[in-house]
Amino acid sequence: MAFIATRAAAWLALCITLAAVALSVPPLRSLIEQSMAWHMVVQMPLLVLGGWLAARATPPFSMLRRLAPFNQFGLTGFMAAQVMTAYWMLPLAIDRAVVLPLFDALKLFTLFVSGMLLADAFKRAPLALQLFFIGYWISMMAWLGIYLATTDLRLCNAYSLQGQVKTGWGLLALGLLLGTVWLGNVWRASTQIAIK
Amino acid sequence: MPAAPPSSPTPEASPISPVKLIRLGQTFSASFAVLVAGLAALLIATGGGQSFTTETLRRQQVSMQPQLIEAFNVTTGSGENTNLKVLLAPGGKVWLIDFVYTRCQTLCSSLGSIYQQLQAQIESRGLQGQVGLLSISFDPANDDAAALVAYAARMNMNPAIWQIATLTNWQDRRRLLDAFGIMVLPAPLGEFEHNAALHVVSSDGVLRRIMDYADFQNALDTAIGDAQKPAAGAVQISPPAVVAAR
Repeated sequence: MAFIATRAAAWLALCITLAAVALSVPPLRSLIEQSMAWHMVVQMPLLVLGGWLAARATPPFSMLRRLAPFNQFGLTGFMAAQVMTAYWMLPLAIDRAVVLPLFDALKLFTLFVSGMLLADAFKRAPLALQLFFIGYWISMMAWLGIYLATTDLRLCNAYSLQGQVKTGWGLLALGLLLGTVWLGNVWRASTQIAIK
Repeated sequence: MPAAPPSSPTPEASPISPVKLIRLGQTFSASFAVLVAGLAALLIATGGGQSFTTETLRRQQVSMQPQLIEAFNVTTGSGENTNLKVLLAPGGKVWLIDFVYTRCQTLCSSLGSIYQQLQAQIESRGLQGQVGLLSISFDPANDDAAALVAYAARMNMNPAIWQIATLTNWQDRRRLLDAFGIMVLPAPLGEFEHNAALHVVSSDGVLRRIMDYADFQNALDTAIGDAQKPAAGAVQISPPAVVAAR
């Protein structure tokens, strides 16, 4: 039973990752080239999710296991994921991913790895540490989202102002969704402990 | 028989085992290293934390390191086939260059009026010999000589001050836009969306500054300042001779 569940999870991880990567390759590439929302609100989160699911669906990679002494409570993983996701929120990084194939490949790789590190980190981190980093991501996404949605400045040379506004609201919604999902999980875990 | 070591630490004295302590130390160092490396990467990517958009980074880079612009073949509004180098050279003028397409209906009318204001100022202050205005079309497919002439008439261009040109070879478009850091996106109704700015270019074809349209007064002053600096080639004749003598 557990085996079947893991296999289904592995297929899901594979499908989501492939979908995210497909958005960087023609013909679907035109979607992320023309729409900032497809790029930031669809592709980038899918990459992180794909990495997360991949890490959960497969046995812990020996590399991650060997690094565990340097990654107590997932702290180092959190830090690395924080830096990588922060980079891809910079308007100039988004432009580069659209124009330069090398940077686009870097984006695919780093966001997928971020997802893997986060899956591992959330499994091992105490709630307080989780709250710290979740709080960081939510505030980052909400702040950037509101800024993108309200500023008159076109921040990405690759995208129109109109698309930027849409992306801003999308990021805000995504941040709120992330917070809700995390709170839901914490609540579920706490009731399970109470029942036990 | 060796006896077991008698002194095992009591739980009260040391709640954290040495192994755990070492791992915490390792984790702290690793996290710190990741954070430092990450911040360094972010600093490098943003030009020292100053530029978060492609546009500001481009302006920062150009102001620190002016860039020579290639001598693209262009066709002017008067139908003359020439290249940028020849077009910019006469009289040692400093040029304010912007990028347009003549079918533009929305933003360009306001940008056109900024160039009209600049033209009026240059005229009234008698700066014709120091500062020139040049609009370059990035839409060579639609902007033929006739379109340029019509645009020049619509904008009341004074050809002694304000010129318009388009690329002679369509294939140069990508390279021209890259050289100036312009990105053009197709927009609805056959229009384009693009980052718009004033490019201060000296008569030797070097892009020296990129400034906001809103900052046009400042751009004009910068251009006048650059134009009034003694020509670099003329002054530097003697110093290299001194260096050579040593």
